[in-house]
Amino acid sequence: MKFRTQQLRVMSLLLVIYYVVLAWLFNRTGFEHSERLFYAEKLKLLFEYNENTLLTLGTTFPTTSFLINVIFAPFGYLFAPVASSIVLMSFLFFFLAKDINNSVLPHRTLMISLLVLFLLHPQFIFAATSGRNIAAIMLFTYLLFRSLFFYYKNQTTYYLSLASLYLGALIFSEIKFLWMILGFLPFVVLVSIEGIKTAKGEPVVFQYYQALNNRSLRRKLVNRTVSLYFILYLLPLAAVFLFRVLNQSHAGDATYFLSSQYSNWRVTGVSTITNILEKGSGDNLSKQTQIIFPLFTIFLAPIFLSAMVLFKGKLYELLTIFTPLIFTSIVLIDIQYYLTTEYFVIIPVLAFVGFNFASAIKLNRFMSSIIILVGVGLTFLGGIYYFKETSDFEEQKFTKMITGTSNWFGVKKDSEEKVLADYIASVKSATRPVLIDDAAAYGVVAHLPTLEGLVMPLQKNFITVIENPQLSVEYILIAKRHNLKHNFTAMNAYNMLVMKDRLNLRSNRVFETENWIVYSIR
Amino acid sequence: MPVCALNNMISVGLFTTAKLDEIDVISDEFDYAQIKAALNFGYLTRKLYVSFLERSGYPLVDVRNEVLDESFVEQCDLLHLNAFLYLPMRNDGKGNLLVAAADPMDERLQGILEIKFNTKIKLVAASDLDITWMVHKLRGEYYVKESVFSLMRKDPESSGLTTFTDAQLLFIFISIAFALLLLTVNFVNSFIFFNLFFSFVFLFSIVFKLYIALKGSKYELVEVVTKEEVKAIKNDTLPVYTILLPVYKEDKLIRKLIWNLRSLDYPRGKLDVKLLIEEDDDKTLNAVRNLDFPANFETIVVPFHMPKTKPKACNYGLFFCKGIYLTIYDAEDVPDSDQLKKVVSLFRKLPKDYVVLQGALNYFNKNENLLTRMFTLEYSYWFDYMLPGLQSLDVPIPLGGTSNHFKLEKLRELGGWDPFNVTEDADLGVRVFEKRYKVGVVNSTTLEEANNEPFNWIRQRSRWIKGYMQTSLVHMRNPIKLVNKIGWRGFFGFNFFVGFTPITFLLYPILLGFYIIYLVFDLQTVRILFPDWVLYISIFNFVAGNTLMIYVNMLAVFKRRFYELILFALVNPFYWLMHSIAAYKGLWQLIYKPFYWEKTNHGLTKMSHSASAAAANASANEV
Repeated sequence: MKFRTQQLRVMSLLLVIYYVVLAWLFNRTGFEHSERLFYAEKLKLLFEYNENTLLTLGTTFPTTSFLINVIFAPFGYLFAPVASSIVLMSFLFFFLAKDINNSVLPHRTLMISLLVLFLLHPQFIFAATSGRNIAAIMLFTYLLFRSLFFYYKNQTTYYLSLASLYLGALIFSEIKFLWMILGFLPFVVLVSIEGIKTAKGEPVVFQYYQALNNRSLRRKLVNRTVSLYFILYLLPLAAVFLFRVLNQSHAGDATYFLSSQYSNWRVTGVSTITNILEKGSGDNLSKQTQIIFPLFTIFLAPIFLSAMVLFKGKLYELLTIFTPLIFTSIVLIDIQYYLTTEYFVIIPVLAFVGFNFASAIKLNRFMSSIIILVGVGLTFLGGIYYFKETSDFEEQKFTKMITGTSNWFGVKKDSEEKVLADYIASVKSATRPVLIDDAAAYGVVAHLPTLEGLVMPLQKNFITVIENPQLSVEYILIAKRHNLKHNFTAMNAYNMLVMKDRLNLRSNRVFETENWIVYSIR
Repeated sequence: MPVCALNNMISVGLFTTAKLDEIDVISDEFDYAQIKAALNFGYLTRKLYVSFLERSGYPLVDVRNEVLDESFVEQCDLLHLNAFLYLPMRNDGKGNLLVAAADPMDERLQGILEIKFNTKIKLVAASDLDITWMVHKLRGEYYVKESVFSLMRKDPESSGLTTFTDAQLLFIFISIAFALLLLTVNFVNSFIFFNLFFSFVFLFSIVFKLYIALKGSKYELVEVVTKEEVKAIKNDTLPVYTILLPVYKEDKLIRKLIWNLRSLDYPRGKLDVKLLIEEDDDKTLNAVRNLDFPANFETIVVPFHMPKTKPKACNYGLFFCKGIYLTIYDAEDVPDSDQLKKVVSLFRKLPKDYVVLQGALNYFNKNENLLTRMFTLEYSYWFDYMLPGLQSLDVPIPLGGTSNHFKLEKLRELGGWDPFNVTEDADLGVRVFEKRYKVGVVNSTTLEEANNEPFNWIRQRSRWIKGYMQTSLVHMRNPIKLVNKIGWRGFFGFNFFVGFTPITFLLYPILLGFYIIYLVFDLQTVRILFPDWVLYISIFNFVAGNTLMIYVNMLAVFKRRFYELILFALVNPFYWLMHSIAAYKGLWQLIYKPFYWEKTNHGLTKMSHSASAAAANASANEV
């Protein structure tokens, strides 16, 4: 049974509605992912702040996710990241479902599997409703591999160029995916040998033997391999180079977009291994080592094994599907952060690449369906297991929220940031400004109705103000010592003590939450 | 049955009856004298024929230096003179009209002329080439004037005779004055505005090209005509096909030309090949005369008339064409052998509104030096990606200089080429679109000689860029009318592709210069002109623009499997600087010498097509 495009559009639309309802329910429980708040704050700065707009627009990273959020800004700064995730997920669903029509496997089984994943799998739901950039990563990963398989089938440069563009978009959704380039190395060489058409039908090793022992073929092989690399990598690498140049010229640091807490959520947002170990919640941390981690990602997504069982294709097609596993191994070489959902959820996506483009009926159609459905069922359980055991603090919050279903329909709860923002909004004014460092307090700024009456690092007078705050502001927002972002902001408990000593600052604690204190200093 | 020289040659064993039978078919189809068919369709060498005439008591007279009574010539139509190769000279004082003829033994011609002039005719032998030269010189005036002014008369709005209209001049001067005024009133802000404006024009133009290239690359494996379809064509169903070969002082290439024509897979009796030679080009004429093997083309001598351009020569040639389809090749071109059959097959498949098919062009001497490599990259992406991309977008396609195949009737209806436009092909592509006809792309390649010498390259490129400027000016005389004719999509496509191309070349060194001055000198004044946000956009445009240019060139090698060229795409920013030099030269000429045809020297390459083919075979044999 083939699915018509119109049917798929309707299903994608229904999926959007489903995710919007879920996001609304989650929001009522007070669940707000910090990455979503980060984007929301940057959107607010972009549209409502007159200073350093270019810096906000030009250096906020990941660029792809941020720019997509800009499109959804009219839906509200806080909702825009969620809206963009939901829409990107529906696009992903649409493309995956559309490509099912290309598959030789039972279409209905694949569609059921897809629906199970998109409707029930916790990682997919998290990707759609959290407002993180996971949806962008999933979508561009799929589009990248889809283009590569189209290239294998059609051998047109068009699909290779598209793959290059999607690789660029993926890298600008998460810079670590730059290492995917190394993951591509093995199959590019194999694609090259295929292209020079020597000893057709013979084993690859023999083809290599032939190609490398003949001057003309060797030259051809090298030229073709280099050409493929250029076509595939030039655009993403040039884009990264350009971005570094722009950062250098505007922020004085080529890696500002990676290292500054003002431009990249990951600097403050992801759980560091040190923090996880400090808090003693590293259940999954032990699996994030070489060899173990790729196996663990497959263990949590056995649908990938189903795809391998049903795989039928050439060696380079197999290596292409394995690329993310090579990629994660490379990423682990130097990692100080816990690898979160995005590194796991791309595995089921890759499984569908296999189903849609490189698969065959094994045994019979019924057995093939069983293999897929068993894989999907286990992957669903793997998703639940992941969130049960996750070491990431915000994912733990998500687990807590999603398992406490009784709270979903109870009285609406506000997040800590929202409560704090409500208080600040009630006291601040143009004459009684508040000193806030949005490096850490971006969540609070995102919730504020206006930016009026704030003094923030984007302003030119920030340094002057922070030297003698009592001369310019009425309130200051300070991160408590156990606040995970304590070390990323100058407005922290330690500096408060220093200011008190140095300036003989008189301060009154006027409002306090779990991680923040608002002081009155006049 | 009337006798001609060929019958007499058969009787002495210099010719065969079978060949004569074939010639009879050709001369009937084309309405030519038999000797013309024999000499122009590859049956007889001129040297052999001349020696036969001399041995038979017909020494050649030098008609170019004979005394002529032009009143006799004036009674004759050029088309007839050209088809039967004769030239009435004068009365010989004995009651005979002395007529120089290529075949002095042609009884049928003698009969026709006796009736026509109502007097006794005495045929004397003369070189067919000299007769051709004389008849075109004496009787070609009407035709050459038509070929120059016909388009201007029929469709003055499409003629490039006027380079700048009054309205355009007014617009240009007002724009310059306004720009100067702005710069005077507020230099910094105006400078920033212009810098950004041009910077975005540059980027948009390149992004548009990338977009078209990607569109085009989608269809790179689409075979619009397959080999099976070509094989299925029966020769007797093929129509007469005209090939125009405009040449000027290409004497060294004539032999090569004949071999290239011979390799075409098309019945020779249906190939109407016209070698268009300028009146003052004795070099080429003598090269044809001195051939020691049969020529497979007809020589047409284009009488002197300004402007001395290729389109004027082609328009002149149109009067003598006999084909249903027509194409143009340069003297050094090596078309795919099945190209003509592919075109016939495609025209039969396509809707009737397709009146032109463009073949891909590429180079046989691609590995000769850096310039030829860059040229190959450029042509590969242009013909393999850009043109199919433009076709898929349904926007005007600027035709390439050669290998464009027309329906002859429609070409005449369009008014032929604009003799005042130095890229008459690009202009014609737009005119085709304006008349709601369509241009298609055929999957066949013609190999040319890439320009391997920088100054020669700049000369050639300056003409092309000047032609794009001319084409742009001609069709943008009335933008609203143009929109009505070709729609908004066509309008933007035309402007981005034809209009913006010279602009980007002109802007490139200026933007590059500003940026380098900023980087190297870091002057305070320059810094004022580059506030942060301007610098941000400038850096973005500069790096992104250059990268995309390089990338688009890299794409091109894939289809052709010229993998060894891919790294040379990195040199593209420097190649663009050469374009810029050519663009400024073209702009200068547009103002001072708009119709001047900057001649490209051919035959500079040390590589031949056969040598490169042999090299390819050798490497294949290594396998």
